[in-house]
Amino acid sequence: MGESRGGGCCPPMDLMRSETMQLVQLIVPMESAHLTVSYLGDLGLVQFKDLNSEKSPFQRTYAAQIKRCGEMARKIRFFKDQMSKAGVIPKELLEKESDIDLDDVEVKLGELEAELVEINANNDKLQRSYNELMEYKLVLQKAGEFFSSAHRSATAQQREIESEDSQQAGDDLLESPLLQEEKSIDSSKQVKLGFLTGLVPREKSMVFERILFRATRGNIFIRQTVIEEPVIDPSSGEKAEKNVFVVFYSGERAKSKILKICEAFGANRYPFSEDLGKQAQMITEVSGRLSELKTTIDAGLGHRDILLQTIGDKFELWNLKVRKEKAIYHTLNMLSLDVTKKCLVAEGWSPVFASNEIQDALQRAAFDSNSQVGSIFQVLRTKESPPTYFRTNKFTSAIQEIVDAYGVAKYQEANPGVFTIVTFPFLFAVMFGDWGHGICILLATMYLILREKKLSSQKLGDIMEMAFGGRYVILMMSLFSIYTGLIYNEFFSIPYPLFAPSAYDCRDASCSEATTIGLIKVRDTYPFGLDPVWHGTRSELPFLNSLKMKMSILLGVSQMNLGIIMSYFNARFFKSSVNIWFQFIPQMIFLNSLFGYLSVLIIIKWCTGSQADLYHVMIYMFLSPTDELGENQLFPHQKTVQLVLLFLALVSVPCMLLPKPFILKKQHEARHQGQSYAPLDETDESLHVETTGGSHGHEEFEFSEIFVHQLIHTIEFVLGAVSNTASYLRLWALSLAHSELSSVFYEKVLLLAWGYNNVLILILGIMVFIFATVGVLLVMETLSAFLHALRLHWVEFQNKFYEGDGYKFAPFTFIFTANEDE
Amino acid sequence: MGFLITTLIFLVVGIIASLCVRICCNRGPSTNLLHLTLVITATICCWMMWAIVYIAQVNPLIVPILSETE
Repeated sequence: MGESRGGGCCPPMDLMRSETMQLVQLIVPMESAHLTVSYLGDLGLVQFKDLNSEKSPFQRTYAAQIKRCGEMARKIRFFKDQMSKAGVIPKELLEKESDIDLDDVEVKLGELEAELVEINANNDKLQRSYNELMEYKLVLQKAGEFFSSAHRSATAQQREIESEDSQQAGDDLLESPLLQEEKSIDSSKQVKLGFLTGLVPREKSMVFERILFRATRGNIFIRQTVIEEPVIDPSSGEKAEKNVFVVFYSGERAKSKILKICEAFGANRYPFSEDLGKQAQMITEVSGRLSELKTTIDAGLGHRDILLQTIGDKFELWNLKVRKEKAIYHTLNMLSLDVTKKCLVAEGWSPVFASNEIQDALQRAAFDSNSQVGSIFQVLRTKESPPTYFRTNKFTSAIQEIVDAYGVAKYQEANPGVFTIVTFPFLFAVMFGDWGHGICILLATMYLILREKKLSSQKLGDIMEMAFGGRYVILMMSLFSIYTGLIYNEFFSIPYPLFAPSAYDCRDASCSEATTIGLIKVRDTYPFGLDPVWHGTRSELPFLNSLKMKMSILLGVSQMNLGIIMSYFNARFFKSSVNIWFQFIPQMIFLNSLFGYLSVLIIIKWCTGSQADLYHVMIYMFLSPTDELGENQLFPHQKTVQLVLLFLALVSVPCMLLPKPFILKKQHEARHQGQSYAPLDETDESLHVETTGGSHGHEEFEFSEIFVHQLIHTIEFVLGAVSNTASYLRLWALSLAHSELSSVFYEKVLLLAWGYNNVLILILGIMVFIFATVGVLLVMETLSAFLHALRLHWVEFQNKFYEGDGYKFAPFTFIFTANEDE
Repeated sequence: MGFLITTLIFLVVGIIASLCVRICCNRGPSTNLLHLTLVITATICCWMMWAIVYIAQVNPLIVPILSETE
């Protein structure tokens, strides 16, 4: 791979093209396989290909090991869960802890899990008994109160009756006829009153009462009292509001009905005896048992905490080990087993510069595992397209991710990221341009950069994570914003004559015409940036709009030309001269004869101060090119030049469209002349050299497809030339929006508050100004300008040369992200 | 005249910046080329923006008309 490519045109530049990659084959003896994969994982420079893709996960060699690792991972998750519930934090992993054996870890994990589960079960049981006893205690207290109060009122009543009786001594027979009758009733037929006590949840208490009443046909008497604090329910373990109830019934049938209803309502019943002495005894007994249980439960919890602490000490170490082992076994599953030679065959992509390191790792693994034979390292030839690998540092990786978000570069294609590092913050700044706001963003991002080490080890939220990841991009954005802010002369929308006094002054001493005809230019042009006099004038917008629109066009045409030149470098690198002559050159001619010419006209108009109308010039260049220009003439022989440019543009369109498909067809025929038969696949007995799914479709050539492709490409370019150039006007639009918002906040909030001469209103005004500036200008406008600068890069710049249909190099490595949970 | 002088200043600043970058982070020819490209691109972008704004003000077609309150 790579023979037909050359870098001879220009010296190699970092990051411009992908690292050269090669397909390597490793033949590893069985006993050193595990160690080899482990060392290669530490190295992190090999992307293994899955050679067993047609096998299901259960058919693979190491499925049992993976199941083992999965079990251990489950136990570790369980521990983590328990630790977080108990509030134990695992110890931080120190560097270079001693290596531990996986079997030991498995055994330990099994033991600890069994112990922890047992402790938890015991704890639950004890807790349940404790809650039941608590409820029993409440029942004893409340029902006791009820009985004693009833007893008191009954005795009081009886005393009253007795006192009445004593007055009418002889009438007791008459006063209590019922009692007399009662005595004569057969005692065996006397009905005995029974009672049940218990607790019922408060929300069900009314329904409970009603159902009891209906079920027993009203032959019960129920009393309920409210318990003030919520009680922990034994079965659910949560606090609930409950009432204590006492139900008096007569007869066995009623009793069974009541029992069933209590069960249905989840009302817990507790035994209660009428005897006062026994009640007191029960209460003391229950209290004693409660305090015993409490100490037992506390001891149990203490034991569990100690256990969790010991787990926490080793937790991170075991966690890392299990994940590493799982990754290693997944990778081992991708290697194909060569039964005859008792070794494993691995295929993978790796960068060419890493060959020595890989061979070194193989040797070390063979030595450390005491194997008889060493591993074999071999480079394979293939027509497959390798993955793309850019070696980035913390500064360039953010930009490379932004470019990759649109599409990963094809192997060895020119990387737009190189120029994007500078042009993206620059275009952002053109739309943001205010050096006060730029300084605010600079301070914010300097904080992120200075606390880099600390923040990178912490776990940040999603938004902070993105802002932290892009801190260097934001730094560049803020630096360029300060520069463009100085050029636009805006400090929170206030201009300052920083470099020289303003170039404009009144026409005469009285300044009478300043508001009607305006000032004139008396001194030299303001040397750096926009003259400070313009802010707040009536003709500010016409002047600035014209300036910024023309600036957008000039910047846009420059960036598009850069894009087309990048396509030239691609064509030269891939040695495709048809792309140079019939794509690059017609595209350059088309774009520059129209919009390059417009840019030149803009510059000439500015330099000469002519009053020509450029809209008119451009439009009539197409509509009636042979007309006289009259007052729109900017330079001599303009009409001839325009005719020539128009002709060139018209000629270049069929040049882009027609020759390339025919030339490609001729090239294809020349390559395959006389080859009517396709070559047979070579079969090697022991080693499977040619990779699966490789190079079919390479030999087919559909002329119609190529032609349509070229047609689409041409139309896209021609129409895109106009629309992309107009698209760059968003640079004007956003910078106008930013400066208008900024000036509104300044004038209508701060100056208004200042005008009242009241300290409170001033403070309020300052607060509103700060919130509005931070919220709208620093956050919303930043995101907005970021997005539009990104769009300009992804669409207008990259569609001139970028294909972006490669895939990223994903080496096997042990650097896990924090949230990975396999 | 002001245009040429300031353009020369930009050129000199660009050259000094590339020398500084070469001195402080000298890491092999391909990386040096990358750094040089970045510095040159940044210098050209900044110069272009300044030049556009400067040239646009040399021969103005519109003059500032102050608003009533000032």
